[in-house]
Amino acid sequence: MPRATLSRAHLLAQLPGLPATPTLAERLFPSKAEIAAETGDELVVETTADRLDLLSEEGLALHLQGSAGLAKGLRHLPAIANLDPAPSILCDPSTAALRPFIAGLVVRSPEATGIRQEHLDAAIRFQELLHATIGGDRRAASLGVYPYDRLQPPFTYQVERLNAVSFTPIDGSNEVGAAEFLRSNDLARRYGALGASEGTILTLRDTKGTLLSVPPIANARPGGEVRAGDRTLLIESTGTRSARVADALGLLSVVFAAQGWSSAPVEIRYADHVEDGRAIVAPRSVRLTEGGLTKLSGRAYSASEVEHLLSTSRLSARSSPGGWMVGVPPWRPDILAEVDLAEEVILARGVRPEDGQIPPSVTRGRRRPESRYHRRVAEYLLGLGATELHTPVLVPERLVGLLGRTSAIELAHPVSDQFQRMRDVLSLSLLLALEHNVRSGYPQRFFEVGPVVERDRTAETGATSRMHSGAVWAEDRAGFADGASLVDYILSTFGAAGVREPVEIPGTIPGRSARLRVAGEAVAEMGEIAPTILDALRIPVPVVWWEIDLDRLWPLVRRSETA
Amino acid sequence: MAEPTEATPPGGTPISLSEPERLLLARLQASPSVPLGEPELVAQSGLPIETVRGSLQRLRSKQLAVADERRRETRSLTPRGKAALGAGLPERRLLDALRAADRPVAPNELSIGELTEQERSVAIGILRRKGLLAQGAALALTEAAGGREPWPEEEALRALGGGDATAAPESFAALQRRGLASSVFETERFWSPSSEGRTVEVREDANAVGALTPGLLASGTWKAHVFRPYDVRAVVPHRTGGRPHPYREWIREFEEILIGLGFSEATGPLLETEFWNSDVLFMPQEHPVRSIHDVLAPLDLVAGPPPGPLLERVAAAHEGRALPGENDPISPGWRARYDPAIARRPTLRSQTTAVSARFLASHPAPPFRLYCIGRNFRRDAVDATHHVEFDQCEGVLGEASTSLRDLVGIFQALAEAIGIRELKFRPSYFPFTEPSLEGYVRHPRLGWIEVFPGGMFRPEVLRPLGVEVPVAAWGIGIARLAMVALGISDVRELYLDELPRLTAGRV
Repeated sequence: MPRATLSRAHLLAQLPGLPATPTLAERLFPSKAEIAAETGDELVVETTADRLDLLSEEGLALHLQGSAGLAKGLRHLPAIANLDPAPSILCDPSTAALRPFIAGLVVRSPEATGIRQEHLDAAIRFQELLHATIGGDRRAASLGVYPYDRLQPPFTYQVERLNAVSFTPIDGSNEVGAAEFLRSNDLARRYGALGASEGTILTLRDTKGTLLSVPPIANARPGGEVRAGDRTLLIESTGTRSARVADALGLLSVVFAAQGWSSAPVEIRYADHVEDGRAIVAPRSVRLTEGGLTKLSGRAYSASEVEHLLSTSRLSARSSPGGWMVGVPPWRPDILAEVDLAEEVILARGVRPEDGQIPPSVTRGRRRPESRYHRRVAEYLLGLGATELHTPVLVPERLVGLLGRTSAIELAHPVSDQFQRMRDVLSLSLLLALEHNVRSGYPQRFFEVGPVVERDRTAETGATSRMHSGAVWAEDRAGFADGASLVDYILSTFGAAGVREPVEIPGTIPGRSARLRVAGEAVAEMGEIAPTILDALRIPVPVVWWEIDLDRLWPLVRRSETA
Repeated sequence: MAEPTEATPPGGTPISLSEPERLLLARLQASPSVPLGEPELVAQSGLPIETVRGSLQRLRSKQLAVADERRRETRSLTPRGKAALGAGLPERRLLDALRAADRPVAPNELSIGELTEQERSVAIGILRRKGLLAQGAALALTEAAGGREPWPEEEALRALGGGDATAAPESFAALQRRGLASSVFETERFWSPSSEGRTVEVREDANAVGALTPGLLASGTWKAHVFRPYDVRAVVPHRTGGRPHPYREWIREFEEILIGLGFSEATGPLLETEFWNSDVLFMPQEHPVRSIHDVLAPLDLVAGPPPGPLLERVAAAHEGRALPGENDPISPGWRARYDPAIARRPTLRSQTTAVSARFLASHPAPPFRLYCIGRNFRRDAVDATHHVEFDQCEGVLGEASTSLRDLVGIFQALAEAIGIRELKFRPSYFPFTEPSLEGYVRHPRLGWIEVFPGGMFRPEVLRPLGVEVPVAAWGIGIARLAMVALGISDVRELYLDELPRLTAGRV
C-alpha cells in the first residue's frame, strides 16, 4: 500500500476544534487510510492505491473535517481575479517523441504573505509521493512548481540542443551545460533518459527565455525556485500518459485548495489544437441514480441522507430527476462512474455486520465430479497407510536438473533458488519430501494429489494445468512391483485396467520403469528411483515412485465414477 | 504381543514372563557359569535378534539376568581407503609421477599421476610437509625425496586392507582424518542368570499355547488348549497409518461450509495470460502489480491470443469507449490505449479472481454461486507471513437482487461457521470491485485480523462479460484463516512435509 510520512502538527493545524477522542487512528478506521506508525511529529499514513489524496496533510485534513463534522461539501478552487495575461504554455511538436503531454495550473495564496514554509514543505513532499506512485517514477507523469510572480508568461515547452542549454540546477550552485548536467547530476543520472535523447533535452522557459526546468529531471535556478513568501505559483505536469498528467496535477491541487487558495487554468497550445485547461481545476459532474445506489447497497437511502453523506465525503450533491448530479473535485480521480459514488455513500455511512443478510440459496452447491474423484484417490492412498503432502508447485532447479525434467517451465525472475520452475510431475516434490525426512526413519510412504503444469502449444496460455496423483514408497524392499501393483489397484477401484510398456524415464533405473496405458491413452508412469538420485538426496533406502495423470484418466473412468 | 507365563522364586511371588523370556531364561539357566553371547542365544532359541535383545533387557529389569558388557572397536577401510589401497596414496602417486618426469612440473599439468584436482592439492601439501617437495610455484623434488621406504600410513593402509587392525594409533588416526579409514565401536553383551535367575522356577502349563495359528484353527485342537495371557502392559511397536495433510483437511472442511451455502466449485489454470489474470478484471495495464516486482512470469512460453470478441469488449471498457453495439461507454475507463500484446503475455496466476472471470465469460446467465480454492503466485520473499505460493478462496454470487448486504451476510456466515463471532468492516480497494471492503475478525490471541476482502464487481468487469446482474465477489486469503484455525504462526508450515509431525498428533 502507498504510504507517506506526514507532519502531525501541520495536519492538526488544519483541524481546529477536532476533539481528542476518538483518536486519529480510530477516526481513520472507516476510511481508506490508516496510521501505520507514529513518532513525535511524524505520522506514517497508508492508503489504498485509489486514494492518494489522503497521503497529503491537506487531503487528509479535508477528509477528517468531513467525517468529524467540522466542515462539509466540496472545497472549490475559486478563480483568481485579475490574472492578466491569462497563462498559457506553447507545447512544441518536438516534444512528441519524448514526453508529449503537458498540463498546467496557476494558484494564488489568499494571504498577502504568500506561502508558508511548512505549507511549501508539505507540497513538495506530496509532489515527490505522486512522482513515485501515479507518476510511475516520473515516467508516466511528473510535476513542477514555479514562482509565477517572477516569471513572464506565456511559457514554451520544447526540445533544445544540449549545447544551447546552460543553467544552475535547483540542487546545485554553479551554472553547468546540459551535457555536463546529464553526466554529473544525481537526478539526471536517474531520470535523464526520460527528458533527454540524442543530443537534445526537454526545456520549459518563459517568454523572456528564463529556464524554469528540464522536465522531468530538475528545476532550474532561479526560474524554478519557489521560496516561502511566494504568492502565486505555476504548477505543471508533463508525461507520456495524458490521463496520468491530468490526474497528477489534479491531485497536487488539493494541497492548495484545502488552504483556501484560488486558481486559474493554464491554456495548452498544441500544434493542432488548444486545450483551455479548465477541466483540470473545475469540479466534474458524475451522476448517481437512486436505483443504482439501492441496487448496489441493498438498502434504501433517503434523499437527505444521500446528500448529507456525500457532503461529509467532501463532494457536492444536486438533486436531479431519479438521483443526483455530484460535483467531484480534481483530486479525486478515483471517482469514474456511478458505482464509485455509490461506494462513497455506502462507506460514509459505514458497513456494519448487522447490514448482512444471507440470501436464500437458489442454487445447490456441489463439488466438481473431478474433485470427488481426486478425493477418492487420496482416500485409497490414505487407506494404504500413506501420508498426504501439500507441497509448492514451484520447485528448485537443482532437483529439476537432477531428475532431467528439462521441460518443466522455468520462471523469468525467480524469487529464490527454491522456487525456480513449475513442476510438471509430482515426483519432484515427493523426492524433496524424502530428502527432508532422511532422519525420520523408514519405511516412509508419501503421496500427493496436486497440480502440475505442462507445456502445451495448443493451449491458450501455452501451458496446461493438470491434476496428478503421485506417491513414493521408501523402504527396505521397495521395488517396481509395489508401484505397479498400487497403480493397478487404484485403477481397479474405478473399473479400469491398463497395459504396462517399458519406457526410459529420467531418474529411474533403466529397465525398471514403465508407462501404463488405458485404452491406448498413457495415464501413468512408475519406476524405481535410480541410485544416483538417492545418493544425491542422501536417501539410504530404495524408493519406488508412481504417478497417475488423473486428468487423462478421468474421461476413461468418468462413467463409473459419476454413475 | 508378549505371552506371559510365570516364574516363581523359592518362597516368592510369581513373576510374569513372556514366552521368549521364558525360553531365554531356560537357556541361561542351562549354562549358569558360562555367559552366552546374543548371537549364540539367537542360534539356540531360533528367535529374531530384536526379540532376543528386548527379552534379555526385560529379564535384566526383572533382576533375573545380568550382562557382562564389553566394548569392541572394529577398524576398516572406507571406500576411498580401499581405492587408495589399490592405486596408492595420492602423495605416493604424485611422488612417483614427479620422479618419472625427472623435472619440475607445473601444478596444473592434469596428467600428473592421474590425480583429481582435490587429490593433487592434498598430495602437494603432504609432500611439502614431509619435506619432499621444494617451495615454489613449480613442483620440484628435494634431495630427501630419494628414499624408497614405505611411509607409516602406507603400512597402516596395507595392514588394514589385509585385516590387521593393529596399526599404530597415530598412523590410523592420520588415515581416519583423511577419510580413508573408519572405526566403529560396538557393545557386546554376554548374559548369565542372576542369583535369583539361577534358582527361579519357570512353570509352564503344558496345555498352554501362545499364538493362535491357522493350524490350530483348522484342526480344532485349540479346543484342547488354554491360551497364555499376554502382558498387556508391555511396550508395543510404534505404528503409523495414513494421515491426511492437516491443511488439506481444513480446506475440505471449509469447502463444506461453502457448499452448504449453495456454492459450487470451479477451477482454472495456474498459468494464465494477463488478459484473464488482470485485463478482464479491469486492472489497468500499467497497474503496479503487473510489474516485474509482483507477478511471476514464465521464461520462454508463448501464449495464444485471447478470444477475439471478448478482447474487443474488454479493450473498449479500458479505453472508455462504448462496447460494440452500444452507444455509451460504461465509464471514462483508464483513459489510456489498451495494448493487446500485453494481454497475451503469460503469467503465473496471481489471484483466483481469474477463475471467476473465466467462469463468468462462459456462464454469464444468473443465478450463480461459485467458489474456487486454488494456488496463486506472487513475487513475495518467503518469511513467516509471506510465501511465493498462497491459496485463495474465491467466491462470486450473482442473482437479480444481489447487493453488498449479501456479501456481508456471506462473510458473517463463514466467520460463524469457523467459530468467529466478532466481525467488523472497513473500506478497501480493488480495481475490479466497487464498493470494496475488508472484513476483520477478532481472534482471541491475535486480536483483529483482516481476512475477508471483497466487493461488488464493477460494471466495467461485468458488462464486457455479458453479465447483467450485480455480482458480489471475494478472494479470501484462506491460508491466514487456516493458520488461525490450526494454531500456527508461520505460513511455511502449511507446506509441512516432516513425517514425524505429519503422523503425530491430532489431524
